[in-house]
Amino acid sequence: MRAYKRLFLISARNVFAYRMSALVSWIGSGAFLIASFAIWKALLGDGSIGGYDWPSMKAYLIISWATMQLGGAGLEWRMADRILWGEVATDLTKPVDYQKARFAEYLGSLTLELIAITIGVSLVAMLTGGFAAPKQPLLFFASMLLVIPLKFMFMYLACMLCFWTSNYMGVAWAKNALIMLFSGGLIPLSLLPTWLATPAAVLPFASVTAAPAIVYLGQAGLEVVVVQAFWVILLWFTARLLWRVALRALTVHGG
Amino acid sequence: MALVEARGLTKVFRRPQKDPGLRGALKHLVQRRFKDFRAVDGIDLSIEAGEAVAYVGPNGAGKSTTIKLLTGILVPTKGTVAVDGHQPHVERIVNARNIGVLFGQRTQLWWDLPVRESLALLRDMYSLSPTFYKQRLERLDDVLGLGELMPVLARKLSLGQRMRADLAAALLHQPKIVYLDEPTIGLDISVKDRVRQFLRELRADGTTLMLTTHDLGDIEDVCERIVIIDEGRKIFDGPLKEMKDQFARVRRMHLQLASSVPLAQVAAVLPETEVAQGDGPHSVTITFDRFTHTAGQIVSAVLQVTEVGELHLDEPAIEDVVRKVYAGELLRESV
Repeated sequence: MRAYKRLFLISARNVFAYRMSALVSWIGSGAFLIASFAIWKALLGDGSIGGYDWPSMKAYLIISWATMQLGGAGLEWRMADRILWGEVATDLTKPVDYQKARFAEYLGSLTLELIAITIGVSLVAMLTGGFAAPKQPLLFFASMLLVIPLKFMFMYLACMLCFWTSNYMGVAWAKNALIMLFSGGLIPLSLLPTWLATPAAVLPFASVTAAPAIVYLGQAGLEVVVVQAFWVILLWFTARLLWRVALRALTVHGG
Repeated sequence: MALVEARGLTKVFRRPQKDPGLRGALKHLVQRRFKDFRAVDGIDLSIEAGEAVAYVGPNGAGKSTTIKLLTGILVPTKGTVAVDGHQPHVERIVNARNIGVLFGQRTQLWWDLPVRESLALLRDMYSLSPTFYKQRLERLDDVLGLGELMPVLARKLSLGQRMRADLAAALLHQPKIVYLDEPTIGLDISVKDRVRQFLRELRADGTTLMLTTHDLGDIEDVCERIVIIDEGRKIFDGPLKEMKDQFARVRRMHLQLASSVPLAQVAAVLPETEVAQGDGPHSVTITFDRFTHTAGQIVSAVLQVTEVGELHLDEPAIEDVVRKVYAGELLRESV
Protein backbone atom coordinates (compact mmCIF):
# COMPACT_ATOMS: atom_id res chain seq x y z
CA MET A 1 0.00 0.00 0.00
CA ARG A 2 2.90 2.28 0.86
CA ALA A 3 4.27 1.84 -2.64
CA TYR A 4 0.98 2.85 -4.28
CA LYS A 5 0.59 5.84 -2.01
CA ARG A 6 4.06 7.02 -2.97
CA LEU A 7 3.32 6.43 -6.67
CA PHE A 8 0.24 8.60 -6.25
CA LEU A 9 2.29 11.38 -4.65
CA ILE A 10 5.18 11.21 -7.08
CA SER A 11 2.81 11.27 -10.03
CA ALA A 12 0.94 14.25 -8.58
CA ARG A 13 4.26 16.06 -8.32
CA ASN A 14 5.30 14.96 -11.78
CA VAL A 15 2.32 16.56 -13.54
CA PHE A 16 3.48 19.95 -12.32
CA ALA A 17 6.58 19.51 -14.44
CA TYR A 18 4.24 19.80 -17.42
CA ARG A 19 2.13 22.70 -16.16
CA MET A 20 2.92 24.85 -19.19
CA SER A 21 1.80 22.29 -21.74
CA ALA A 22 -1.22 21.56 -19.54
CA LEU A 23 -2.10 25.25 -19.56
CA VAL A 24 -1.99 25.35 -23.34
CA SER A 25 -4.24 22.31 -23.64
CA TRP A 26 -6.75 23.86 -21.23
CA ILE A 27 -6.92 26.96 -23.36
CA GLY A 28 -7.79 24.64 -26.23
CA SER A 29 -10.41 22.73 -24.32
CA GLY A 30 -11.82 26.01 -22.99
CA ALA A 31 -12.32 27.12 -26.57
CA PHE A 32 -14.11 23.86 -27.29
CA LEU A 33 -16.38 24.47 -24.32
CA ILE A 34 -17.23 27.99 -25.47
CA ALA A 35 -17.92 26.72 -28.99
CA SER A 36 -20.29 23.98 -27.83
CA PHE A 37 -22.18 26.45 -25.65
CA ALA A 38 -22.51 28.87 -28.57
CA ILE A 39 -23.69 26.17 -30.98
CA TRP A 40 -26.33 24.71 -28.67
CA LYS A 41 -27.56 28.12 -27.61
CA ALA A 42 -28.11 28.97 -31.26
CA LEU A 43 -29.79 25.63 -32.00
CA LEU A 44 -32.07 25.63 -29.00
CA GLY A 45 -33.07 29.26 -28.72
CA ASP A 46 -36.03 29.22 -26.35
CA GLY A 47 -37.30 25.85 -27.52
CA SER A 48 -36.00 22.34 -26.94
CA ILE A 49 -34.52 19.46 -28.97
CA GLY A 50 -35.02 15.84 -27.99
CA GLY A 51 -36.17 16.78 -24.53
CA TYR A 52 -33.30 19.18 -23.85
CA ASP A 53 -34.08 22.84 -23.22
CA TRP A 54 -31.33 25.38 -22.63
CA PRO A 55 -30.92 24.96 -18.83
CA SER A 56 -30.71 21.17 -19.07
CA MET A 57 -28.43 21.34 -22.13
CA LYS A 58 -26.15 23.70 -20.25
CA ALA A 59 -25.79 21.16 -17.45
CA TYR A 60 -25.29 18.39 -19.98
CA LEU A 61 -22.53 20.29 -21.78
CA ILE A 62 -20.58 21.15 -18.65
CA ILE A 63 -20.76 17.56 -17.37
CA SER A 64 -19.69 16.28 -20.76
CA TRP A 65 -16.78 18.72 -20.82
CA ALA A 66 -15.68 17.81 -17.30
CA THR A 67 -15.75 14.07 -17.97
CA MET A 68 -13.79 14.56 -21.19
CA GLN A 69 -11.11 16.50 -19.33
CA LEU A 70 -10.55 13.70 -16.83
CA GLY A 71 -8.13 11.15 -18.11
CA GLY A 72 -4.56 11.70 -17.03
CA ALA A 73 -3.44 12.93 -20.41
CA GLY A 74 0.19 13.13 -19.34
CA LEU A 75 0.16 9.64 -17.92
CA GLU A 76 -1.41 8.15 -21.01
CA TRP A 77 1.53 8.99 -23.26
CA ARG A 78 4.02 8.17 -20.56
CA MET A 79 2.64 4.67 -20.25
CA ALA A 80 2.37 4.16 -24.00
CA ASP A 81 5.93 5.36 -24.60
CA ARG A 82 7.32 3.18 -21.86
CA ILE A 83 5.81 0.13 -23.53
CA LEU A 84 6.85 1.18 -27.02
CA TRP A 85 10.42 2.01 -26.06
CA GLY A 86 10.89 -0.94 -23.74
CA GLU A 87 11.17 1.13 -20.55
CA VAL A 88 8.41 -1.12 -19.29
CA ALA A 89 11.21 -3.61 -18.62
CA THR A 90 12.34 -1.61 -15.61
CA ASP A 91 8.76 -1.34 -14.36
CA LEU A 92 8.57 -5.12 -14.44
CA THR A 93 11.54 -5.52 -12.14
CA LYS A 94 9.68 -3.74 -9.33
CA PRO A 95 7.71 -5.55 -6.62
CA VAL A 96 4.41 -3.87 -7.43
CA ASP A 97 1.38 -4.89 -9.43
CA TYR A 98 1.63 -3.17 -12.78
CA GLN A 99 -2.03 -2.30 -13.15
CA LYS A 100 -2.47 -1.04 -9.60
CA ALA A 101 0.72 0.96 -9.90
CA ARG A 102 -0.53 2.68 -13.06
CA PHE A 103 -3.88 3.32 -11.41
CA ALA A 104 -2.13 4.99 -8.46
CA GLU A 105 -0.15 7.15 -10.87
CA TYR A 106 -3.32 7.97 -12.76
CA LEU A 107 -5.08 9.11 -9.59
CA GLY A 108 -2.08 11.25 -8.75
CA SER A 109 -2.07 12.85 -12.16
CA LEU A 110 -5.71 13.93 -11.69
CA THR A 111 -4.77 16.65 -9.18
CA LEU A 112 -4.03 19.25 -11.80
CA GLU A 113 -7.03 18.24 -13.91
CA LEU A 114 -9.42 18.47 -11.00
CA ILE A 115 -8.20 22.00 -10.31
CA ALA A 116 -8.70 22.92 -13.95
CA ILE A 117 -12.17 21.38 -14.03
CA THR A 118 -13.20 23.22 -10.86
CA ILE A 119 -12.04 26.51 -12.35
CA GLY A 120 -13.75 25.78 -15.67
CA VAL A 121 -17.06 24.81 -14.08
CA SER A 122 -17.04 27.83 -11.72
CA LEU A 123 -16.29 30.20 -14.56
CA VAL A 124 -19.10 28.82 -16.69
CA ALA A 125 -21.51 28.91 -13.74
CA MET A 126 -20.63 32.55 -13.11
CA LEU A 127 -20.89 33.62 -16.74
CA THR A 128 -24.08 31.77 -17.65
CA GLY A 129 -26.11 32.30 -14.52
CA GLY A 130 -25.44 29.08 -12.65
CA PHE A 131 -26.80 25.55 -12.86
CA ALA A 132 -29.81 23.90 -11.33
CA ALA A 133 -28.84 21.62 -8.45
CA PRO A 134 -28.54 17.92 -9.41
CA LYS A 135 -31.85 16.08 -9.10
CA GLN A 136 -30.16 13.19 -7.25
CA PRO A 137 -27.05 14.65 -5.58
CA LEU A 138 -25.71 11.48 -3.98
CA LEU A 139 -26.23 9.31 -7.03
CA PHE A 140 -24.71 12.00 -9.22
CA PHE A 141 -21.64 12.11 -6.98
CA ALA A 142 -21.27 8.32 -7.12
CA SER A 143 -21.69 8.40 -10.86
CA MET A 144 -18.99 11.06 -11.28
CA LEU A 145 -16.65 9.10 -9.01
CA LEU A 146 -17.08 6.00 -11.18
CA VAL A 147 -16.07 8.00 -14.24
CA ILE A 148 -12.55 8.19 -12.78
CA PRO A 149 -11.74 4.44 -12.87
CA LEU A 150 -13.66 4.07 -16.14
CA LYS A 151 -11.53 6.61 -17.94
CA PHE A 152 -8.51 4.88 -16.49
CA MET A 153 -9.60 1.55 -17.90
CA PHE A 154 -10.08 2.96 -21.40
CA MET A 155 -6.67 4.59 -21.29
CA TYR A 156 -4.99 1.55 -19.79
CA LEU A 157 -6.50 -0.89 -22.30
CA ALA A 158 -5.60 1.40 -25.20
CA CYS A 159 -2.02 1.75 -23.97
CA MET A 160 -1.74 -1.98 -23.69
CA LEU A 161 -2.30 -2.27 -27.42
CA CYS A 162 1.21 -0.82 -27.69
CA PHE A 163 2.50 -4.31 -26.97
CA TRP A 164 1.35 -5.14 -30.50
CA THR A 165 1.53 -1.85 -32.37
CA SER A 166 4.62 0.23 -32.94
CA ASN A 167 2.92 3.58 -32.49
CA TYR A 168 0.34 4.96 -30.09
CA MET A 169 -0.96 7.88 -32.15
CA GLY A 170 -3.49 5.89 -34.13
CA VAL A 171 -4.70 3.97 -31.10
CA ALA A 172 -5.17 7.19 -29.13
CA TRP A 173 -7.16 8.81 -31.94
CA ALA A 174 -9.36 5.81 -32.39
CA LYS A 175 -9.97 5.55 -28.65
CA ASN A 176 -10.78 9.25 -28.34
CA ALA A 177 -13.11 9.17 -31.32
CA LEU A 178 -14.96 6.14 -29.97
CA ILE A 179 -15.35 7.74 -26.57
CA MET A 180 -16.42 11.06 -28.06
CA LEU A 181 -19.12 9.52 -30.21
CA PHE A 182 -20.46 6.70 -28.05
CA SER A 183 -20.20 8.36 -24.65
CA GLY A 184 -22.52 11.20 -25.56
CA GLY A 185 -19.64 13.64 -25.41
CA LEU A 186 -20.36 14.94 -28.90
CA ILE A 187 -24.16 15.09 -28.64
CA PRO A 188 -26.58 13.47 -26.20
CA LEU A 189 -27.10 9.82 -27.05
CA SER A 190 -30.86 10.29 -27.27
CA LEU A 191 -30.26 12.50 -30.32
CA LEU A 192 -28.27 9.84 -32.18
CA PRO A 193 -29.96 7.90 -35.02
CA THR A 194 -30.96 4.37 -34.04
CA TRP A 195 -28.10 2.68 -35.90
CA LEU A 196 -25.66 4.63 -33.71
CA ALA A 197 -27.77 4.69 -30.56
CA THR A 198 -28.02 0.90 -30.43
CA PRO A 199 -24.26 0.21 -30.25
CA ALA A 200 -23.90 3.17 -27.87
CA ALA A 201 -26.37 1.54 -25.52
CA VAL A 202 -24.40 -1.69 -25.26
CA LEU A 203 -20.88 -0.25 -25.29
CA PRO A 204 -19.18 0.85 -22.06
CA PHE A 205 -18.50 4.39 -23.28
CA ALA A 206 -21.93 5.75 -22.34
CA SER A 207 -20.97 5.24 -18.72
CA VAL A 208 -18.38 7.99 -19.00
CA THR A 209 -20.50 10.97 -20.00
CA ALA A 210 -24.13 10.12 -20.63
CA ALA A 211 -24.48 8.28 -17.33
CA PRO A 212 -23.57 11.11 -14.93
CA ALA A 213 -25.41 13.62 -17.15
CA ILE A 214 -28.73 11.79 -17.15
CA VAL A 215 -28.40 11.08 -13.43
CA TYR A 216 -27.85 14.79 -12.88
CA LEU A 217 -30.90 15.65 -14.94
CA GLY A 218 -32.98 13.00 -13.19
CA GLN A 219 -33.66 11.07 -16.42
CA ALA A 220 -32.29 7.89 -14.87
CA GLY A 221 -31.38 6.62 -11.44
CA LEU A 222 -29.52 3.89 -9.60
CA GLU A 223 -29.61 1.42 -12.52
CA VAL A 224 -27.22 3.61 -14.51
CA VAL A 225 -24.74 3.78 -11.64
CA VAL A 226 -24.90 0.00 -11.25
CA VAL A 227 -24.07 -0.40 -14.94
CA GLN A 228 -21.14 1.95 -14.50
CA ALA A 229 -19.81 -0.10 -11.59
CA PHE A 230 -20.32 -3.27 -13.63
CA TRP A 231 -18.16 -1.86 -16.42
CA VAL A 232 -15.42 -0.80 -14.03
CA ILE A 233 -15.20 -4.32 -12.61
CA LEU A 234 -15.47 -6.08 -15.95
CA LEU A 235 -12.85 -3.89 -17.63
CA TRP A 236 -10.50 -4.16 -14.65
CA PHE A 237 -10.43 -7.93 -14.92
CA THR A 238 -10.40 -7.92 -18.71
CA ALA A 239 -7.28 -5.77 -18.51
CA ARG A 240 -5.70 -8.30 -16.19
CA LEU A 241 -6.30 -11.07 -18.71
CA LEU A 242 -5.03 -8.96 -21.56
CA TRP A 243 -1.93 -8.14 -19.55
CA ARG A 244 -1.03 -11.82 -19.31
CA VAL A 245 -1.32 -12.21 -23.04
CA ALA A 246 0.61 -8.98 -23.59
CA LEU A 247 3.57 -10.18 -21.52
CA ARG A 248 3.92 -13.16 -23.82
CA ALA A 249 3.99 -10.79 -26.77
CA LEU A 250 6.50 -8.48 -25.12
CA THR A 251 9.72 -8.05 -26.99
CA VAL A 252 12.28 -5.69 -25.60
CA HIS A 253 15.27 -5.59 -27.84
CA GLY A 254 18.65 -4.28 -26.85
CA GLY A 255 19.74 -2.81 -23.52
CA MET B 1 20.19 -25.95 -5.41
CA ALA B 2 21.94 -22.98 -6.89
CA LEU B 3 20.58 -19.51 -6.33
CA VAL B 4 19.92 -19.04 -10.03
CA GLU B 5 19.07 -22.16 -11.99
CA ALA B 6 18.14 -22.17 -15.68
CA ARG B 7 17.54 -25.33 -17.68
CA GLY B 8 17.15 -25.38 -21.45
CA LEU B 9 16.13 -21.73 -21.37
CA THR B 10 14.81 -20.68 -24.77
CA LYS B 11 13.19 -17.52 -26.08
CA VAL B 12 11.84 -17.33 -29.59
CA PHE B 13 10.73 -13.99 -31.03
CA ARG B 14 8.49 -13.71 -34.07
CA ARG B 15 9.82 -11.24 -36.56
CA PRO B 16 7.68 -9.89 -39.38
CA GLN B 17 9.07 -10.65 -42.81
CA LYS B 18 8.59 -7.59 -44.98
CA ASP B 19 9.81 -7.02 -48.47
CA PRO B 20 11.52 -3.68 -48.97
CA GLY B 21 9.63 -0.51 -49.80
CA LEU B 22 5.99 0.50 -49.76
CA ARG B 23 5.03 -2.50 -51.85
CA GLY B 24 6.53 -4.80 -49.27
CA ALA B 25 4.71 -2.99 -46.48
CA LEU B 26 1.37 -3.25 -48.30
CA LYS B 27 1.95 -6.88 -49.10
CA HIS B 28 2.66 -7.55 -45.44
CA LEU B 29 -0.72 -6.08 -44.55
CA VAL B 30 -2.51 -8.63 -46.69
CA GLN B 31 -0.23 -11.59 -46.38
CA ARG B 32 1.50 -11.64 -43.05
CA ARG B 33 4.64 -13.67 -42.92
CA PHE B 34 6.76 -14.16 -39.84
CA LYS B 35 10.04 -15.79 -39.15
CA ASP B 36 11.03 -17.24 -35.81
CA PHE B 37 14.16 -15.90 -34.30
CA ARG B 38 15.82 -17.76 -31.44
CA ALA B 39 17.35 -15.08 -29.25
CA VAL B 40 18.20 -17.56 -26.52
CA ASP B 41 18.55 -21.20 -27.45
CA GLY B 42 18.66 -23.83 -24.72
CA ILE B 43 20.84 -22.12 -22.13
CA ASP B 44 21.74 -24.04 -18.97
CA LEU B 45 23.09 -21.90 -16.21
CA SER B 46 23.52 -22.19 -12.47
CA ILE B 47 24.87 -19.45 -10.29
CA GLU B 48 25.71 -20.08 -6.65
CA ALA B 49 25.16 -17.48 -3.97
CA GLY B 50 28.06 -15.07 -3.79
CA GLU B 51 29.36 -15.73 -7.30
CA ALA B 52 30.19 -12.97 -9.73
CA VAL B 53 29.52 -14.03 -13.29
CA ALA B 54 30.43 -12.16 -16.41
CA TYR B 55 28.04 -12.82 -19.26
CA VAL B 56 29.76 -12.02 -22.48
CA GLY B 57 29.01 -12.22 -26.17
CA PRO B 58 28.84 -10.11 -29.31
CA ASN B 59 25.93 -7.78 -30.06
CA GLY B 60 22.73 -9.72 -30.54
CA ALA B 61 24.12 -12.85 -28.89
CA GLY B 62 21.20 -13.00 -26.46
CA LYS B 63 22.78 -11.52 -23.34
CA SER B 64 20.09 -8.97 -22.55
CA THR B 65 17.34 -11.42 -23.43
CA THR B 66 18.78 -13.92 -20.95
CA ILE B 67 18.85 -11.23 -18.25
CA LYS B 68 15.23 -10.38 -19.04
CA LEU B 69 14.25 -14.03 -18.74
CA LEU B 70 16.05 -14.36 -15.41
CA THR B 71 14.44 -11.20 -14.03
CA GLY B 72 10.89 -12.18 -15.03
CA ILE B 73 10.43 -9.49 -17.66
CA LEU B 74 10.10 -11.97 -20.51
CA VAL B 75 8.26 -15.26 -20.49
CA PRO B 76 10.44 -18.13 -21.70
CA THR B 77 9.27 -19.98 -24.80
CA LYS B 78 10.74 -23.20 -23.43
CA GLY B 79 12.81 -24.31 -20.48
CA THR B 80 12.73 -23.43 -16.81
CA VAL B 81 14.18 -20.74 -14.58
CA ALA B 82 14.24 -20.67 -10.81
CA VAL B 83 15.74 -17.82 -8.83
CA ASP B 84 15.94 -18.58 -5.13
CA GLY B 85 13.28 -21.21 -5.75
CA HIS B 86 10.85 -18.88 -7.54
CA GLN B 87 9.92 -18.80 -11.20
CA PRO B 88 10.56 -15.15 -12.07
CA HIS B 89 7.84 -14.71 -14.71
CA VAL B 90 5.20 -16.47 -12.60
CA GLU B 91 6.08 -15.04 -9.22
CA ARG B 92 7.33 -11.77 -10.61
CA ILE B 93 6.63 -9.67 -7.54
CA VAL B 94 8.17 -12.13 -5.06
CA ASN B 95 11.22 -12.42 -7.25
CA ALA B 96 11.46 -8.66 -7.67
CA ARG B 97 12.07 -8.25 -3.95
CA ASN B 98 15.22 -10.39 -4.18
CA ILE B 99 16.79 -8.76 -7.16
CA GLY B 100 18.33 -5.50 -8.24
CA VAL B 101 18.46 -4.76 -11.94
CA LEU B 102 20.29 -2.12 -13.92
CA PHE B 103 19.88 -1.71 -17.64
CA GLY B 104 22.75 0.56 -18.56
CA GLN B 105 20.90 1.95 -21.56
CA ARG B 106 17.72 2.73 -19.66
CA THR B 107 16.95 4.64 -16.53
CA GLN B 108 14.50 3.90 -13.78
CA LEU B 109 14.67 7.46 -12.45
CA TRP B 110 11.70 9.79 -12.81
CA TRP B 111 12.93 12.07 -15.52
CA ASP B 112 11.37 15.32 -14.38
CA LEU B 113 11.87 14.93 -10.65
CA PRO B 114 14.89 15.14 -8.34
CA VAL B 115 16.78 11.87 -7.81
CA ARG B 116 15.65 11.98 -4.16
CA GLU B 117 12.03 11.42 -5.22
CA SER B 118 12.85 8.32 -7.24
CA LEU B 119 14.74 6.85 -4.32
CA ALA B 120 11.92 7.64 -1.90
CA LEU B 121 9.60 5.76 -4.23
CA LEU B 122 11.91 2.74 -4.17
CA ARG B 123 12.11 2.98 -0.39
CA ASP B 124 8.34 2.58 -0.24
CA MET B 125 8.21 -0.08 -2.94
CA TYR B 126 10.60 -2.30 -1.01
CA SER B 127 9.09 -1.29 2.37
CA LEU B 128 12.44 -0.20 3.80
CA SER B 129 12.51 1.12 7.34
CA PRO B 130 13.66 4.73 7.85
CA THR B 131 16.84 3.61 9.68
CA PHE B 132 17.77 1.06 7.01
CA TYR B 133 17.06 3.60 4.29
CA LYS B 134 19.29 6.15 5.95
CA GLN B 135 22.11 3.62 6.37
CA ARG B 136 21.90 2.59 2.75
CA LEU B 137 21.94 6.17 1.53
CA GLU B 138 25.06 6.84 3.59
CA ARG B 139 26.75 3.75 2.22
CA LEU B 140 25.79 4.63 -1.34
CA ASP B 141 26.97 8.17 -0.79
CA ASP B 142 30.38 6.85 0.26
CA VAL B 143 30.93 4.73 -2.80
CA LEU B 144 28.90 6.51 -5.48
CA GLY B 145 28.86 10.09 -4.26
CA LEU B 146 25.09 9.92 -4.21
CA GLY B 147 24.62 12.89 -1.88
CA GLU B 148 25.43 15.53 -4.47
CA LEU B 149 23.01 13.96 -6.95
CA MET B 150 19.99 13.79 -4.64
CA PRO B 151 18.51 17.26 -5.31
CA VAL B 152 19.21 17.23 -9.06
CA LEU B 153 16.47 16.60 -11.65
CA ALA B 154 17.20 13.29 -13.34
CA ARG B 155 17.11 14.83 -16.79
CA LYS B 156 19.85 17.28 -15.80
CA LEU B 157 22.32 14.54 -14.83
CA SER B 158 25.32 13.75 -17.01
CA LEU B 159 25.56 10.18 -18.25
CA GLY B 160 28.08 9.27 -15.55
CA GLN B 161 25.98 10.85 -12.83
CA ARG B 162 22.87 9.15 -14.15
CA MET B 163 24.58 5.77 -14.07
CA ARG B 164 25.67 6.36 -10.48
CA ALA B 165 22.14 7.33 -9.48
CA ASP B 166 20.71 4.35 -11.36
CA LEU B 167 23.17 2.00 -9.65
CA ALA B 168 22.09 3.39 -6.31
CA ALA B 169 18.45 2.87 -7.32
CA ALA B 170 19.11 -0.75 -8.28
CA LEU B 171 20.95 -1.51 -5.04
CA LEU B 172 19.03 0.53 -2.50
CA HIS B 173 17.18 -2.43 -1.04
CA GLN B 174 20.35 -4.53 -0.76
CA PRO B 175 19.18 -7.24 -3.13
CA LYS B 176 20.50 -10.79 -2.92
CA ILE B 177 21.13 -10.91 -6.63
CA VAL B 178 22.15 -8.06 -8.84
CA TYR B 179 21.88 -8.13 -12.61
CA LEU B 180 23.78 -5.43 -14.40
CA ASP B 181 23.28 -5.08 -18.13
CA GLU B 182 26.19 -3.03 -19.43
CA PRO B 183 26.78 -0.95 -16.32
CA THR B 184 29.71 0.98 -17.77
CA ILE B 185 28.37 1.70 -21.25
CA GLY B 186 29.35 5.15 -22.47
CA LEU B 187 31.19 6.11 -19.30
CA ASP B 188 34.56 7.83 -19.18
CA ILE B 189 37.55 6.15 -17.56
CA SER B 190 37.26 7.82 -14.17
CA VAL B 191 33.58 7.03 -13.74
CA LYS B 192 34.21 3.49 -14.99
CA ASP B 193 36.86 3.04 -12.32
CA ARG B 194 34.48 4.29 -9.71
CA VAL B 195 31.73 1.91 -10.84
CA ARG B 196 34.15 -1.03 -10.89
CA GLN B 197 35.43 -0.17 -7.45
CA PHE B 198 31.83 -0.19 -6.32
CA LEU B 199 31.18 -3.57 -7.92
CA ARG B 200 34.20 -5.03 -6.14
CA GLU B 201 32.85 -3.79 -2.82
CA LEU B 202 29.49 -5.27 -3.67
CA ARG B 203 31.16 -8.61 -4.21
CA ALA B 204 32.99 -8.31 -0.92
CA ASP B 205 29.60 -7.87 0.75
CA GLY B 206 28.62 -11.28 -0.59
CA THR B 207 26.16 -10.11 -3.22
CA THR B 208 25.61 -12.42 -6.15
CA LEU B 209 26.40 -10.60 -9.34
CA MET B 210 25.66 -11.20 -12.98
CA LEU B 211 27.05 -8.71 -15.38
CA THR B 212 26.86 -8.35 -19.12
CA THR B 213 29.38 -6.10 -20.73
CA HIS B 214 31.38 -5.31 -23.79
CA ASP B 215 34.12 -3.84 -21.67
CA LEU B 216 36.50 -6.59 -20.73
CA GLY B 217 38.06 -4.42 -18.06
CA ASP B 218 34.83 -4.86 -16.11
CA ILE B 219 35.30 -8.61 -16.16
CA GLU B 220 38.90 -8.82 -15.08
CA ASP B 221 38.25 -6.38 -12.31
CA VAL B 222 35.10 -7.89 -10.90
CA CYS B 223 34.35 -11.45 -11.97
CA GLU B 224 36.12 -14.75 -11.62
CA ARG B 225 33.68 -16.72 -13.72
CA ILE B 226 32.88 -16.05 -17.32
CA VAL B 227 30.07 -17.33 -19.50
CA ILE B 228 30.38 -16.69 -23.21
CA ILE B 229 27.37 -16.96 -25.46
CA ASP B 230 26.92 -16.55 -29.16
CA GLU B 231 23.79 -16.86 -31.26
CA GLY B 232 21.82 -17.72 -28.14
CA ARG B 233 24.00 -20.67 -27.20
CA LYS B 234 26.48 -21.04 -24.42
CA ILE B 235 29.97 -21.69 -25.74
CA PHE B 236 32.04 -21.36 -22.61
CA ASP B 237 31.28 -21.45 -18.91
CA GLY B 238 34.07 -21.59 -16.36
CA PRO B 239 36.66 -19.71 -14.35
CA LEU B 240 38.30 -16.81 -16.10
CA LYS B 241 41.68 -18.42 -15.53
CA GLU B 242 40.55 -21.65 -17.10
CA MET B 243 39.33 -19.79 -20.12
CA LYS B 244 42.74 -18.28 -20.55
CA ASP B 245 44.41 -21.69 -20.08
CA GLN B 246 42.07 -23.42 -22.42
CA PHE B 247 41.79 -20.89 -25.17
CA ALA B 248 44.67 -18.49 -24.86
CA ARG B 249 47.40 -20.94 -25.70
CA VAL B 250 49.39 -18.67 -27.90
CA ARG B 251 52.01 -16.47 -26.27
CA ARG B 252 54.26 -13.99 -27.90
CA MET B 253 57.84 -13.14 -26.89
CA HIS B 254 59.65 -10.07 -28.12
CA LEU B 255 63.45 -10.25 -27.98
CA GLN B 256 66.07 -7.58 -28.53
CA LEU B 257 69.12 -9.45 -29.82
CA ALA B 258 72.69 -8.32 -29.19
CA SER B 259 73.73 -8.77 -32.83
CA SER B 260 72.10 -9.02 -36.17
CA VAL B 261 71.27 -12.66 -36.79
CA PRO B 262 69.37 -14.02 -39.79
CA LEU B 263 65.85 -15.04 -38.80
CA ALA B 264 66.32 -18.44 -40.36
CA GLN B 265 69.10 -19.21 -37.91
CA VAL B 266 66.83 -18.48 -34.95
CA ALA B 267 63.98 -20.40 -36.52
CA ALA B 268 66.28 -23.40 -36.97
CA VAL B 269 66.75 -23.81 -33.21
CA LEU B 270 63.07 -23.28 -32.54
CA PRO B 271 60.98 -25.74 -34.51
CA GLU B 272 57.17 -25.62 -33.98
CA THR B 273 57.26 -21.90 -33.33
CA GLU B 274 56.78 -18.90 -35.53
CA VAL B 275 59.72 -16.52 -35.78
CA ALA B 276 59.21 -13.09 -37.28
CA GLN B 277 61.08 -9.83 -37.61
CA GLY B 278 60.27 -7.54 -34.68
CA ASP B 279 59.85 -3.79 -34.61
CA GLY B 280 63.54 -2.80 -34.32
CA PRO B 281 66.54 -3.84 -36.42
CA HIS B 282 67.81 -6.53 -34.04
CA SER B 283 64.47 -7.61 -32.66
CA VAL B 284 62.48 -10.76 -33.28
CA THR B 285 59.04 -11.87 -32.24
CA ILE B 286 58.52 -15.51 -31.43
CA THR B 287 55.01 -16.91 -31.22
CA PHE B 288 54.66 -20.20 -29.41
CA ASP B 289 52.18 -22.54 -27.80
CA ARG B 290 52.51 -22.33 -24.05
CA PHE B 291 51.61 -25.98 -23.64
CA THR B 292 54.52 -27.19 -25.75
CA HIS B 293 57.13 -24.58 -24.80
CA THR B 294 57.94 -22.58 -21.71
CA ALA B 295 59.27 -19.05 -21.97
CA GLY B 296 62.55 -20.34 -20.48
CA GLN B 297 62.98 -22.93 -23.22
CA ILE B 298 62.55 -20.27 -25.85
CA VAL B 299 65.15 -18.00 -24.27
CA SER B 300 67.73 -20.73 -23.82
CA ALA B 301 67.27 -21.84 -27.42
CA VAL B 302 67.86 -18.32 -28.67
CA LEU B 303 70.92 -18.00 -26.42
CA GLN B 304 72.53 -20.84 -28.39
CA VAL B 305 72.57 -18.52 -31.37
CA THR B 306 73.23 -15.10 -29.91
CA GLU B 307 73.17 -12.92 -26.82
CA VAL B 308 69.82 -11.47 -25.79
CA GLY B 309 69.46 -7.85 -24.66
CA GLU B 310 65.90 -7.07 -23.69
CA LEU B 311 62.93 -9.39 -23.64
CA HIS B 312 59.24 -8.91 -23.19
CA LEU B 313 56.41 -11.42 -22.99
CA ASP B 314 52.78 -10.73 -24.01
CA GLU B 315 50.40 -12.36 -21.58
CA PRO B 316 47.16 -13.61 -23.09
CA ALA B 317 44.52 -10.94 -22.64
CA ILE B 318 40.84 -11.78 -22.39
CA GLU B 319 40.32 -9.30 -25.16
CA ASP B 320 42.16 -11.54 -27.58
CA VAL B 321 40.31 -14.63 -26.51
CA VAL B 322 36.91 -13.04 -26.63
CA ARG B 323 37.69 -11.39 -29.93
CA LYS B 324 38.49 -14.83 -31.31
CA VAL B 325 35.27 -16.18 -29.92
CA TYR B 326 33.33 -13.40 -31.59
CA ALA B 327 35.10 -14.08 -34.84
CA GLY B 328 34.19 -17.75 -34.57
CA GLU B 329 37.76 -18.92 -34.25
CA LEU B 330 37.45 -20.47 -30.86
CA LEU B 331 36.13 -23.87 -31.83
CA ARG B 332 38.80 -24.32 -34.44
CA GLU B 333 41.59 -23.52 -32.04
CA SER B 334 40.36 -25.70 -29.25
CA VAL B 335 40.42 -28.92 -31.27
